[in-house]
Amino acid sequence: MSGVAARRRGSGGWLLGAGAGALATLATSTALLGGVLLAPALTAWALDPSPQRDLARPMLFCGLAAALGPLVALWSGGGGIAAGWALAGDLPTLGLAWGAQAAAWLVAEVAPLLVELVLAARLGRRIARLRAERMRLEEEWGVPPPAT
Amino acid sequence: MSGTPSGRTPTLPAPPAFPPIDGRFVVDGTRPLPGAGGGLPSFVAEDRTGRLAGLMAVETRPDALPRAATLGTPLGDLAGVLVPLAHGPARGQEGRADWFVVCPAPPGPALWPEEAGSIAPWTEADLLRLLIVPVAAALEAMRLRGLTHRAIRPGNLFRADAAAPVVLGCAWATPPAYLQPAAFEPPYAAMCLPGGRGEGSVADDIYALGVTALALALGRMPWAALPGEEVIHRVLVYGGVAALAGEARLPGSLADLLRVMLAEDPGQRPPPDLLRTPLAAASRRIGTRPPRRAQRALSVGGIAAWDARTLAYAIARDPAAGARVLRSGLADHWLRRSVDDGSLAVRLEEPLQRRQNEAGADDAGADALLALRAVALLDPLAPLCWGGVAVWPDGLGTALAAHDAPQLPALVREEATAAFAALRGPVEEAARLRQEARARRALLERRGWAGGPARLRYALNPLLPCRSRTLSGAQVVRLADLVPALEAAVARRRPTDGAVLDAELVAFIAARQDGALESLLAPFADGMGSPRAAVMAARLLGRLQAAFATGPLPALAGVLAEAARPDLDSWRSRSRRAEKAERLAQAAAGGDLAAMVAVLDDPATRAAEAAEWQEAQAAAAAIDARIAALVAGDAARTATARALGREIAAGLGLAALAASGVAVLLG
Repeated sequence: MSGVAARRRGSGGWLLGAGAGALATLATSTALLGGVLLAPALTAWALDPSPQRDLARPMLFCGLAAALGPLVALWSGGGGIAAGWALAGDLPTLGLAWGAQAAAWLVAEVAPLLVELVLAARLGRRIARLRAERMRLEEEWGVPPPAT
Repeated sequence: MSGTPSGRTPTLPAPPAFPPIDGRFVVDGTRPLPGAGGGLPSFVAEDRTGRLAGLMAVETRPDALPRAATLGTPLGDLAGVLVPLAHGPARGQEGRADWFVVCPAPPGPALWPEEAGSIAPWTEADLLRLLIVPVAAALEAMRLRGLTHRAIRPGNLFRADAAAPVVLGCAWATPPAYLQPAAFEPPYAAMCLPGGRGEGSVADDIYALGVTALALALGRMPWAALPGEEVIHRVLVYGGVAALAGEARLPGSLADLLRVMLAEDPGQRPPPDLLRTPLAAASRRIGTRPPRRAQRALSVGGIAAWDARTLAYAIARDPAAGARVLRSGLADHWLRRSVDDGSLAVRLEEPLQRRQNEAGADDAGADALLALRAVALLDPLAPLCWGGVAVWPDGLGTALAAHDAPQLPALVREEATAAFAALRGPVEEAARLRQEARARRALLERRGWAGGPARLRYALNPLLPCRSRTLSGAQVVRLADLVPALEAAVARRRPTDGAVLDAELVAFIAARQDGALESLLAPFADGMGSPRAAVMAARLLGRLQAAFATGPLPALAGVLAEAARPDLDSWRSRSRRAEKAERLAQAAAGGDLAAMVAVLDDPATRAAEAAEWQEAQAAAAAIDARIAALVAGDAARTATARALGREIAAGLGLAALAASGVAVLLG
């Protein structure tokens, strides 16, 4: 990691921390509900060593997609801490949010492998075409085979 | 030998039959005429047109060629001579192919039966009336046509009965004087190789007639038991009549006549016109002086020389010993002191000086040239003597064909005929012979199969059949007959190595062509070592096939197509190779050599293929580089796949978030 990236990440972390602190102070129930529902994504964000948070980002997006409904419900109901605790303790809500994040994690892990398989297949086809062309030249012209 | 699948041996095609000679004469090989051919086998011949009867065909020998110049001269109706009527190939005894000379059959038996030791002596009157006068008339008629006979001897003279005049036998089926015993030729012809005696002059025929008359007058040949060398030596030492007649007594007038007929100098012999009146001829005086005899003999190569003529003969027999005697000064001293001929010794100084100036001490060629010049100066009548053999310059061609003597090519290489003519002949003749000698040397020294001794041999002998073993004995004299004969020979016996042309065939073609094939013969300079030998052969034979319209040559084409396979493999493109192989097979099946050459010898396509080959190599290299680059980019591809996969996952998450937001907004 270069110094610039480290500094950028450091300032990002500081801002995130400041934002989280401000959120906990100004909207405690929202922070509580969001923190519980997005706990896997936030954990992954904290632990993901890649600069782009390649693993955490899809988890966060999917977690937010699942948490958006309960948060809107919280804000519609007045936004008390008790309501936040109730929604956070609701197992279907919690299961949906955490399940979405788990699915996102799975997709983030599997997608590169699938893409790599596709790319490898494409490359294999190209090399096979080239080798066939070379074989044709060898047969037609007696070009010596390539040195191994 | 492998048989056919059925186990039976395939039947070889019969040897081709020859058309009648000159379109009309047919040789009957089953009816020989013993003794009629003057030493050569002869058979009854028939004229298909019926105009002539009583003909014979004389079989020639492969090494002793018929006289091309005489056979090419229209002789008309020469009386007293079995004139040649035609010549050509035919099948003689046991179906053997040979070259025949057709002429009238003799009117009766030979004067001297073969193997007879003696006969009843002829009277002087009979000799004059039945032999000398009619033969002189025939010789005069031949002289007027520029011809000589050169085969006058008792075994080759015929007469119908005891009162009939003598007829000269066939003398056209061999080189001049080829079969003449040494005694029946002047010593300067007899000492030559039998094939190198040259056309000579009518004076040589007069000499032979004189010896024949001597033999008939005596009824025996006193010299019969002597070897030819001894006869020549005796004639040179004692003169013709004294040497040949020995102690025998001859009638006075006949002795005078024979003395002038057997004079050493041809210019002293009576011309045939004069011989028609024998008494006048006998009274002719011989104007030459006898050579100066030395007080003591000079021995050269075992021969005791008593005068300049016998010294010349001794040097001619043993030129190495002769050169030693000349260079040591012994000959000069002997000529000055013992022979008392200072002027001759002075004349010998010039060639000696040239020998010392032009070559080193051990130069055998220079010694041979010195001997040649010395012989020519010592005896102005002597023939060209080189390395122990003697020939007349106009007999060199037939000598090359008849004798496998290594001296003959050396003689040509040293331009000995030019050196000989410079000392002997008139200036114009010497200039002509010098040019001829240079041209012959150039042919001899030309590299490869289109030059050398074989080319020279064929060039100098227009009737010499091709001696290639590939032809299996076929008589091929004309270039037009070569390709059909070769096709027939190859059809009978296919060459195992695929080589249809050999050195003899190429030399024969080179000698018989008119210059148009020179460019095709040039590649044969290195023999058949070239990898394109089959193509070269196909190109040459294809040109002959077209020039002589020989028709299809499937056997030759098949052999050449097989032999050309390595050349076909030189095409790099497999598809082109296959296409050319198919076209070659089609052309070979059709026996079309020119079409085969067009397939094999295709310079435009060769050039195009060379460019295509370069392109193919470049394309292969580009492919190799591309594959290597793709394989080398594997790590980058993994990183790309990882990043792309994560972005896809993030995109999916973002899409879910957007969908969820929309759902919340819509309630």
